[in-house]
Amino acid sequence: MTNTTGVIDPSTKDPHEMFVGWAPAPAVDRRFLLGALPLGLLAAGGASWKLAGKLNDPGAGAWLTGATHDVTGALVTHPYPMIRVTDPQAPFGMRTVLLVAVGKCTSSLTFGDMEAKPVTASGVLIQRKERRMLEVPPFAEEWLTPASAGMPVAAVKPPIQSLGGATLAGQIMDSKCFFGVMRPGRGKTHKACASLCIRGGIPPSFWARTKDGRESVLLLTDAAGGPMPMDILPFVADPVEAKGEIVRVGDLLQFRVDPAAIRRI
Amino acid sequence: MGHQYQAVQWNKNKIVYDLYMVAAVAVFFGVFMFIGLQTHPSGHTADPVVLAIRALGVTSFAMLTVVLAIGPLARLSPRFRPFLYNRRHLGVMTFVVAAAHFGLALLWYHGGGPLNPLVSMFVSNPLYDSIPGFPFEVLGFAAFLILMLMAVTSHDFWLNNLSAPVWKALHMLVYPAYALLVMHIVLGALMTEKSIVYPIVTAAAFIGVSALHLYTGMREWSADSGMKALKAKGWIDVCAPDDIPDKRAVIAPLPKGDRVAVFRYDGKVSAVTNACRHQNGPLGEGRVIDGCITCPWHGWQYRPDDGVSPPPFTEKISTYNVKIESGRVMVDPKPNPPGTRAEPVVIASEGAPA
Repeated sequence: MTNTTGVIDPSTKDPHEMFVGWAPAPAVDRRFLLGALPLGLLAAGGASWKLAGKLNDPGAGAWLTGATHDVTGALVTHPYPMIRVTDPQAPFGMRTVLLVAVGKCTSSLTFGDMEAKPVTASGVLIQRKERRMLEVPPFAEEWLTPASAGMPVAAVKPPIQSLGGATLAGQIMDSKCFFGVMRPGRGKTHKACASLCIRGGIPPSFWARTKDGRESVLLLTDAAGGPMPMDILPFVADPVEAKGEIVRVGDLLQFRVDPAAIRRI
Repeated sequence: MGHQYQAVQWNKNKIVYDLYMVAAVAVFFGVFMFIGLQTHPSGHTADPVVLAIRALGVTSFAMLTVVLAIGPLARLSPRFRPFLYNRRHLGVMTFVVAAAHFGLALLWYHGGGPLNPLVSMFVSNPLYDSIPGFPFEVLGFAAFLILMLMAVTSHDFWLNNLSAPVWKALHMLVYPAYALLVMHIVLGALMTEKSIVYPIVTAAAFIGVSALHLYTGMREWSADSGMKALKAKGWIDVCAPDDIPDKRAVIAPLPKGDRVAVFRYDGKVSAVTNACRHQNGPLGEGRVIDGCITCPWHGWQYRPDDGVSPPPFTEKISTYNVKIESGRVMVDPKPNPPGTRAEPVVIASEGAPA
């Protein structure tokens, strides 16, 4: 070889017949591909298996879209829409079922003149352990009918008991996704969705774990027990600490918090 | 080649390529969905839509990683050239899977609310001033727009009409897109998922792709440096005719940093530019097949004596004048206009071609 300096002879590194896309592949490439292609499929399947198998536990919760459920009880719209069902077998003698609209616009729900009256609501049940929620169409005439059953006063105005002040660390999340519409329905990847849901009027919850690992979920309200203002939106789905008062309203625990007392941790 | 524009000029290898690509994507996505939908030890199962969003996202990132690895791998070993041949279909398919991920995420997380979904994507997480809190969705959206632009302009029609330098610059945006996707994952999924597997795999993909490009880039740079050192004036002494393997070429540096591919075939020597008209593939690493110089990347062909693609194709590349003096192949460093015939020089010892 008497090449001038800088001259490259590619044949020294690639002595084989060349693969050309529009021609049959040379034997050397066929041999390589016969080994590489099945290995590629195995690698794709194996990597996917490993990655999918390590996903976070999605958490409890179910969105029972296959059937319509009827819930009969007292309709309450403050701080958030809900139906209180009297049930002597349940703790505190009642079960509260939160009401949300299809989609993320619960603020658009209409109730006619049914406030504080016995009603039957028809919708899709969303359930996370003992917590229940009914997903209904936006307009009252589509899902809400008066009920003839008598309604105990306690269902409309349940006993309110303060359990004292508390500082809790946890996450603010939208109750609908967390109760089972999305599994998982918390964390950074769900932050925007949770924020949009709460903006749309879906009740916010405060999720925390006790020191012994038990899950604790409280309905989040303002300090007076009213609906939470939109000031909390930037904090949704982030690790936060909030100082407030825990109040039991019927069977439901509320975490009453001044939005200014929430801080990111 | 581009004498007329068709959506896809199919051949057997492209069909095999695409079938394999679809099979690999189906295996990856299918296994992810199957395993992801299994009941967790706690008794909980994931929502299929949320899982599909994850699966599509992971699949598209894996595909883009493969797309970016093919180039340097093909430079390291010609055995990877079959993967390069139809890479644009893999790129377009990557966009399709990414579009499914984007569309489903937009619908599921941002649809049905009080805001336009596209508006929600930008405002529902307002923590633009925080690194860990940054809305990762907008990074993925920016990457998606780049992939869309590349997919739309992937056809040779755009390569010819935008001009090769503009097209090449446009498609170099794949690197910012990949970086955006890595940040999309780091500030999104990695801040949610607890398993150490995800940061390890993401880092391995990013470092692997970067290392492959750096390594092959340094090799090219090293070769370029050696070539640019050439200070020859007038005709360039390349080599003896016998130093060029039959139906192959040697690649010689030119004073301005260009390269010339000097081919030997049928007892003759011809010289053309080393850059293919199609995507700047290294013609000098190609072969003379059926009497034509054939690019090793996508099989584009040119006649050695005038640099014109055989009919019905019309592409043209620059030729160089060649002569043999004192047993040495000499090349005039001044290129002829593309498609100009340069008389091949006959190698005396081999005589005229049959």
